[in-house]
Amino acid sequence: MKSYDVISTRANRIDTPDKATGKAVFVDDITLPGMLYGALLQSPHAHAKILSIDTTEAEKLPGVKAVITAKEAGQVKYGVSPARYDETVFAVDKVRYVGDEIAAVAATSLDVALDAVSRIKVTYEELPAVFTVEDAVKDGAPQLHDEFKGNLCAEVHQEFGNVAEGLENSDIVITTEMKSKRQDGAFIEMQGCIAEYDNRGVLTLTSSTQVPHYVQRTVAMVLGMDVGKVRVKKPYVGAGFGIKAAANPMELACCMLAKKTKKPVKMNFTREQVFMYGRARHRFHHTITTGAKKDGTLMALKHECWLDGGAYTSFGIATVYYTGSLLGGPYKLANMSYDGYRVYNNKPACGAQRGHGAVIARACFEQQLDMIAEKIGMDPLELRIKNMMETGDTTCNDLNMRSFGMAECIEAVRNGSDWDKKKGHMPPGKGIGMACGFFVSGAGYPIYRSDTFHGTVIVKLTEDGGTALVYTASAEIGQGSDTAFAMIAAEALGIPLENVRLASGDTDMGVDLGAYSSRQTLMTGHATKEAAENVRRQVLEVLSEQLNVPVEKMDIRNGFIEFDGDTPDFSALRTRYIKEHRGWTDNPDSDKLTFKEASRIAFLERGSIVGTGKYKPHSLGGKFKGAAVGTSPAYGCSAQVAEVTVDMDTGQITIDRITDAHDCGKAINMTSVEGQMEGSISMGIGEAMHEEVIFDNQGRVLNHDLAEYKIVTSMDMPRVKTIVVESDEPNGPFGAKEVGEGAIMPTIPAILNAVYDAAGVRVYELPLTPERVFHAIQEYRERTRASA
Amino acid sequence: MLLPKFEFHEPESIEKALVLKKQFNSGARFLAGGTDLLVYLKKKIVSTDHVISLQRIEGLGEIRENESDLFIGACTTMAAISRHPAVQKRFCALKSGADNMGTHLIRNRATIGGNVCNASPAGDTLPALLVYDAAALVISPDGKRDIPLRDFFKGPGKTDLKNDEILTGFRLPNPPDHSGAHYIQLGKRKSAEINVVNAASFLTIDPGAGNILSVRIALGSVAPTPIRAPEAEAALMGNTAGDDAFNAAAEIARSRDCSPIDDFRGSAAYRRAMVGVLTKRTLAAAFDQARA
Repeated sequence: MKSYDVISTRANRIDTPDKATGKAVFVDDITLPGMLYGALLQSPHAHAKILSIDTTEAEKLPGVKAVITAKEAGQVKYGVSPARYDETVFAVDKVRYVGDEIAAVAATSLDVALDAVSRIKVTYEELPAVFTVEDAVKDGAPQLHDEFKGNLCAEVHQEFGNVAEGLENSDIVITTEMKSKRQDGAFIEMQGCIAEYDNRGVLTLTSSTQVPHYVQRTVAMVLGMDVGKVRVKKPYVGAGFGIKAAANPMELACCMLAKKTKKPVKMNFTREQVFMYGRARHRFHHTITTGAKKDGTLMALKHECWLDGGAYTSFGIATVYYTGSLLGGPYKLANMSYDGYRVYNNKPACGAQRGHGAVIARACFEQQLDMIAEKIGMDPLELRIKNMMETGDTTCNDLNMRSFGMAECIEAVRNGSDWDKKKGHMPPGKGIGMACGFFVSGAGYPIYRSDTFHGTVIVKLTEDGGTALVYTASAEIGQGSDTAFAMIAAEALGIPLENVRLASGDTDMGVDLGAYSSRQTLMTGHATKEAAENVRRQVLEVLSEQLNVPVEKMDIRNGFIEFDGDTPDFSALRTRYIKEHRGWTDNPDSDKLTFKEASRIAFLERGSIVGTGKYKPHSLGGKFKGAAVGTSPAYGCSAQVAEVTVDMDTGQITIDRITDAHDCGKAINMTSVEGQMEGSISMGIGEAMHEEVIFDNQGRVLNHDLAEYKIVTSMDMPRVKTIVVESDEPNGPFGAKEVGEGAIMPTIPAILNAVYDAAGVRVYELPLTPERVFHAIQEYRERTRASA
Repeated sequence: MLLPKFEFHEPESIEKALVLKKQFNSGARFLAGGTDLLVYLKKKIVSTDHVISLQRIEGLGEIRENESDLFIGACTTMAAISRHPAVQKRFCALKSGADNMGTHLIRNRATIGGNVCNASPAGDTLPALLVYDAAALVISPDGKRDIPLRDFFKGPGKTDLKNDEILTGFRLPNPPDHSGAHYIQLGKRKSAEINVVNAASFLTIDPGAGNILSVRIALGSVAPTPIRAPEAEAALMGNTAGDDAFNAAAEIARSRDCSPIDDFRGSAAYRRAMVGVLTKRTLAAAFDQARA
């Protein structure tokens, strides 16, 4: 096995010192000379016609520099997928949810801006509103968008193999439902941005975003500007989880205000506005039927899902496809059908969140695997091993697993949790359960149709020699991508990590589709590796000329030049280097020629040494409609075992322990991989146990703060044992693939299966609040009493 | 959400605070830790032109051990209550309540006086204060008065305090020998939680005969105010402490002593059921302490 010097270690993250000391700059830390503050007017009604907007009083207020509405902003439609642009920056004619944007103000202070917003007079004619999928699809229901009759935003119908026949040939057929609740990403940093418009007509937007590239394109399109005149950059970002993976109306309004006032304008969402804007995980309602043979062989999977979409599409088209496409695996399954429906209603739009579209489907399906195992008297872990896909397998919907350490993951959690000793032997009120899952390492295509590279990277060596500068437009949002790419560059170049400096998150640095779909490690990683190798080759070429040694006989490792066989006499090069650095204190005296000397010589011979790298996926499988959603160059996979205690009198669940194994191909940074595994588990536990966005009957969010929207606290987090499995992905840089989203897949079903093991109850609706579990236990007791 | 503008006063004595309050009449609000008030001001649930801080007044933030009772100043923080040796030794149910409120950061600011004056039915320290039979010590330009805590709460956010009065602290009688008390809060997650139901029980037993000499049970989030459970208490008095008596009392508390409602945190039915469970469990734990 190849040995590495930089990757595969637990290197300290390059952003840690700044974050630990408070020096790291986020949007809200930035103040510019002459900066104005912006504020939004948002609809108080869930559904209403706008009869008139009067901004006179707002404009009169001293300190107000601009007030804009749809009249000034225009009516350019935008959204996430060009297949479904259904939003305008400001409401035209009508508002569709509480929070729909109507106007924006820029003023000399936030106080004044908010005051001005309150002086904008809007006359509404309230319209009947719908808040649930069930109500929205009824005959005669209020309609949100004229173009989409019946409030049906999107539907998907797919069948692979022959499901009816598969079910007919099954000995056991199980049908269950699963309902979840709308989530919020609950990232720490609320969305914020600053727009500047300079004297040469260039608009610069600094934003808390996951996707500078897509924001750049949307800003250019909506403002009618040349893409080349729009620059989007991100400072440090306090997470996104998918919600920040598209341009938001505040960013667009901010750009318009800056362009109009010719002054920098800053805007922020409050936490309440974060909830009002939404765009996090949909509420899903699945009905799944799974058929299996008596020996445990899975035969067929029939899947229907209704997605509660909210007022606009956002990522919804991708979501409704992902919900279907990421289910059958990681199991061998020849027959699978899917009918998905995404429905509009008068709530904030839902979008993408960690484990996009696939989390609740898996929570339903993985419980059924346990039910099947129970019926045939098989260990649920063995049932999964029996059906598990192997490296090289392709699912019935054309997802090809070039590397797949699923079996290794299952064995790892079996041993790590002591499964064989515990399963079936837990004391009353305690239970153990497991589940598996997989996820994409980036989408095969950008969101818009294009032949673009998905990532480009520039590596430049400093002219003095010794330091590599890496420029990437990718988005560090807290996940550790800057460190990962610095490590990849260092490894590929053969120099220590401290000799790499990296700048990222700026559209001026190139193209990078950003942090979503767990794509950056694989895709940006490839581009980084290619750029670094390019630079490395240039340095070695110069050395080859100077020393008369073939390039292939030389290597760069740990900052030194290594020669195959005898080390040639490089004293002339060293003398040349030292001559230029008289009086310097750090002149080389090592036995080996240093990279510093070599790169300086390379500059003296060739000028600045710059290498570029790029990546786009090879042509991926699937010719059917929707095949592009789910196909990926690689798939990460994972298995988890959860151990729980259920208080049978109160319904309270304590998660005692989770054992998690994830195949990330190759860990670039071992600590970061484990961090993603633990973070995924934390988010999965929150969704399983207590997170839900709650609305009143007027469509207003009731729990729009982190006191009442209950994410996991340190007290709720169990001990987690993380086991990293490395399968060496052929399509990944140094064999690496995703970990950020796949690791959430098994969490919820593993908990649900453990709860069943502990309490004998299956719960088909999330979250597992004490009350819901209490009622399930009561029903179970009544049922068992009646049958006794 | 910006904090609206108001004038901020920091009197250094109770007398000055009383004068200020009188001067601005109902236009002024007292601030102790601010963990409720500042949120209400930001959310515009409360508006005021004058905020009078009580934090610089000497003695309001102290805990004092007297011969027969413990004095806890109104401005004592949850964190200070939790780490005080006398609270840890003799008033452990109050420590539990203080430990369960909010987060570390909140507990470093939030005060017991604020928690009581906020008068939330779900308040974390209120059941414990009720079962320790605390008295609220109140001062006004007209003099001092003590209000038994069970008479203090008048409704959600409403108290017996008059407009010109300041709550200065609490007096908790030292529990007699062979006493025990326990507090349990139940929510959706394990911390930083607003209780769905909370409960505390206090017992004194005759160590020889094992019968109950005194008992107090308090319930939160199951009525417009935190309440005592008089019928369950009456059923226990004089009886032999033990599971049978506790089960019977729990059933009475569940069926007769509470009047919960449905809200987005939980249903009335679940709350009622949990009153039974928590009453039984707090009694049993209090009993374990009493006979230890």
